[in-house]
Amino acid sequence: MIREVNIIGCGMTKFGNRSNEGLIDLLKEASINAIKDAGINHQLIQAVYVSSMLSGELTNQTAIASALCDELCLVPAAADRIENGPASGGSAIKNAFLAIASGVYDAILVVGGEKMRNSPGDKITDLLATMTHPTAEYIHGVTMPSLAAMFTRLYMTKYGVERKHLAMVAVKNHENALKNPYAHLQRRVTLEGIFFSREAEVNNPLIAEPLRLYDMCPISDGAASILVCSNKIANKLLDSPVKIAGFGQATDIQAVSQRSDPTELKAVRLSADQAFKMAKMKREDIDVVELHDAFTILEIAESENAGFFKRGTGHIALEEGITALDGKLPINPSGGLKARGHPVGATGVAQVVELAWQLKEEAGERQVQGAQKAYCCNFGGFGNNVVSFVLRRDQ
Amino acid sequence: MMQKMIGVICNECKKVYYPKRSCCPNCKDIQLKEVEIGNTCTLITYTELWAVPKGIDKLPLTLGIFEFENGARVLGQIISKKIEIGMKFQPLWSKIRKINGKEIYGFIFESIS
Repeated sequence: MIREVNIIGCGMTKFGNRSNEGLIDLLKEASINAIKDAGINHQLIQAVYVSSMLSGELTNQTAIASALCDELCLVPAAADRIENGPASGGSAIKNAFLAIASGVYDAILVVGGEKMRNSPGDKITDLLATMTHPTAEYIHGVTMPSLAAMFTRLYMTKYGVERKHLAMVAVKNHENALKNPYAHLQRRVTLEGIFFSREAEVNNPLIAEPLRLYDMCPISDGAASILVCSNKIANKLLDSPVKIAGFGQATDIQAVSQRSDPTELKAVRLSADQAFKMAKMKREDIDVVELHDAFTILEIAESENAGFFKRGTGHIALEEGITALDGKLPINPSGGLKARGHPVGATGVAQVVELAWQLKEEAGERQVQGAQKAYCCNFGGFGNNVVSFVLRRDQ
Repeated sequence: MMQKMIGVICNECKKVYYPKRSCCPNCKDIQLKEVEIGNTCTLITYTELWAVPKGIDKLPLTLGIFEFENGARVLGQIISKKIEIGMKFQPLWSKIRKINGKEIYGFIFESIS
């Protein structure tokens, strides 16, 4: 019998350009915010899981979890850095879940962070591209935007998704981010400005045709943290803590061209199915969702593959306003990767922080009223390693 | 020198893969045999990439995914200018980029007019 896992504290740094701080500073800031939010004696923390994809490559600091433990005076707590590409944050939370659920630990600090903006763009693009298949993809000059672009064209042909729908994802998520003080991009974007005016061509240049600048998430610095614990600790502090009700994780064939259906995000589907099964919940139970919109098309495709809409109808749900902040199923109230930003190792943790805030009714102007159950998916590689969570808070 | 594209075929389900792999993702069989991929393929999706990685000297870089008659799907660079989905292409052995200063060779694709 597995034990229940609670989220008793959440913390973030502002995402964006944090040129005056190092990665360790960002991790510390988010961690201290989460520990303060939990209000527990930090000596109760038995383990620290740090998710970062590129700390060694970009900041010349490896084994950063051990360093953080010392900086936060959490020694002799156990410490590990967890790397799983852009799904590093999801993997770190999953490992914390397993350690609490199994009864080994009672309190774990999870913190994800990345420091990317001090490095040249082409270096970042290349390092991210090293996630792709070395001989089937990488050597040919493949980048993540180029895979997303080829995926988008297949999706457009098969399901009738248009450029307009991609721009609508960007407009919606930028609008939500205006209400999120932690978001990287806090400026209003209109369909006119990025899609149908004459200036749109200039404002929104091609990056990987048919994808344009506003179809891509920004490159960000930032960190996010949660404190997870067993009922033994949570029940002393809170009447109704947020619970990780279920998780799922699945891999897929690495080379997109070798998948039997390259428009299917199979790992999203499988990880979501597992998470819902463990949580004993249905898709209809969910009140709020965070998806991994590194590219606008991914919000549409993940909303279908995670099972909220039939395949090929995600763009219609978007058009009907179902996924808007005031819609029936708000997606990415935080602004998503598109506008909250994407410090790669932080993203999976930031998604869970946003959902925990939503369930605790602490999401300020972007609060989804009455939210009690939530889902997120953290998408690694081009969908070849995906971690899903279902959260709940009983009121 | 004419280079042939060699992939693998699964003994069990007969699916063909390029580049070679050691097990079939479709039926998990590990009995895979080398097979020639062929000379003609159809473009199923593509992109013109305006933000290219280091070691690529083309701007834009055109990338596509192609399907061969035996079902193998392969990704590669396109050197032809006018392209559309459904067009026929042939693979050519060529220098494709530099990685850490070293020249890398592989197959690129040219339309068959």
